Amino acid sequence: MAAVLAVSPTRMELMKLRKRVGLAQRGHDLLREKMDALVMEFFEVLRKIQEVRVRAFEQLLTAHRALTNCLAVMGTLETMQAAREAKRELQLEISTRYVMGIAVPAVEVGEVERNALARQYSLHMTSSALDEASREFERALKFLIELAELNESAFALARELEKTKRRVNALEYILIPRLKEAIKFITMRLDEMERENFTRLKRIKAILEERR
Amino acid sequence: MSFEIAVIGDRDTTTGMALAGATYTHVHTTKDETLSKLNEFLTSDEIGLILLTHRVAEELGFEFRQLMRTKRLLPLVLQIPDKTGYVPEVDELREIIRRTVGGEIIIRKEGR
Repeated sequence: MAAVLAVSPTRMELMKLRKRVGLAQRGHDLLREKMDALVMEFFEVLRKIQEVRVRAFEQLLTAHRALTNCLAVMGTLETMQAAREAKRELQLEISTRYVMGIAVPAVEVGEVERNALARQYSLHMTSSALDEASREFERALKFLIELAELNESAFALARELEKTKRRVNALEYILIPRLKEAIKFITMRLDEMERENFTRLKRIKAILEERR
Repeated sequence: MSFEIAVIGDRDTTTGMALAGATYTHVHTTKDETLSKLNEFLTSDEIGLILLTHRVAEELGFEFRQLMRTKRLLPLVLQIPDKTGYVPEVDELREIIRRTVGGEIIIRKEGR
């Protein structure tokens, strides 16, 4: 394993390595903290999604029921005609918000629900079932917009989380062990050299004493 | 900045969303046509949100996922159930959770 880093066993190298381990350790701790914070944020968003999702999908089903009713009352062609005539200029205000350095969208929308006049389809040609259907769809759309925002946030967070996790793991399981291995290799080598030197000195001393 | 909404789906979904004020709608008939329309929506600077039904997303399959991977932050894309309330078994979000949290199955309590 020590060969992986191919270090020369010197004191200088040892000091450098110790510094690098310290740095890696600190980076690892910081990333870990970031990851924990991200996980908390992520689960918070997931919880919200779950809530909004149930509401949105239920409302969407209600809207579809109202629409089916409207299709039956008014006829398919007339309903589609009304849909074509309706004013379709709903505006979303979208900006980016930063959650821990990650860009997530922030969607703002004015009132989605309108009154029948604002929808601008011909009122005397249509039935109240159409108004009903439109209203239900507007409500559903409002929830869906909220859901889309949360969904996208969750994706952005998940992407970042994945990246952070990979980095933490790379440090924890690859870089730091390798550095530690290298340090161990160097200290062993240095100790070994020390011992060699010690016996050498002993031997020289013995030879010198013999000569005297 | 302000953006508009686009919808891709079956006739009922698009009709309903048009009534609710969505500016662009496309009724899905053939895969190629829908794909080119989706591309057009994705590259438009005026569209901030694309709603499309799970059924259409499923039909577009691989190409759709490819597009989702390469898209910019905007427009947002949200898959919605159609009038039958169809939601596929494999949830994209579940998939992501599994990947990030690492094979953990999460049981969330409702209304906590």
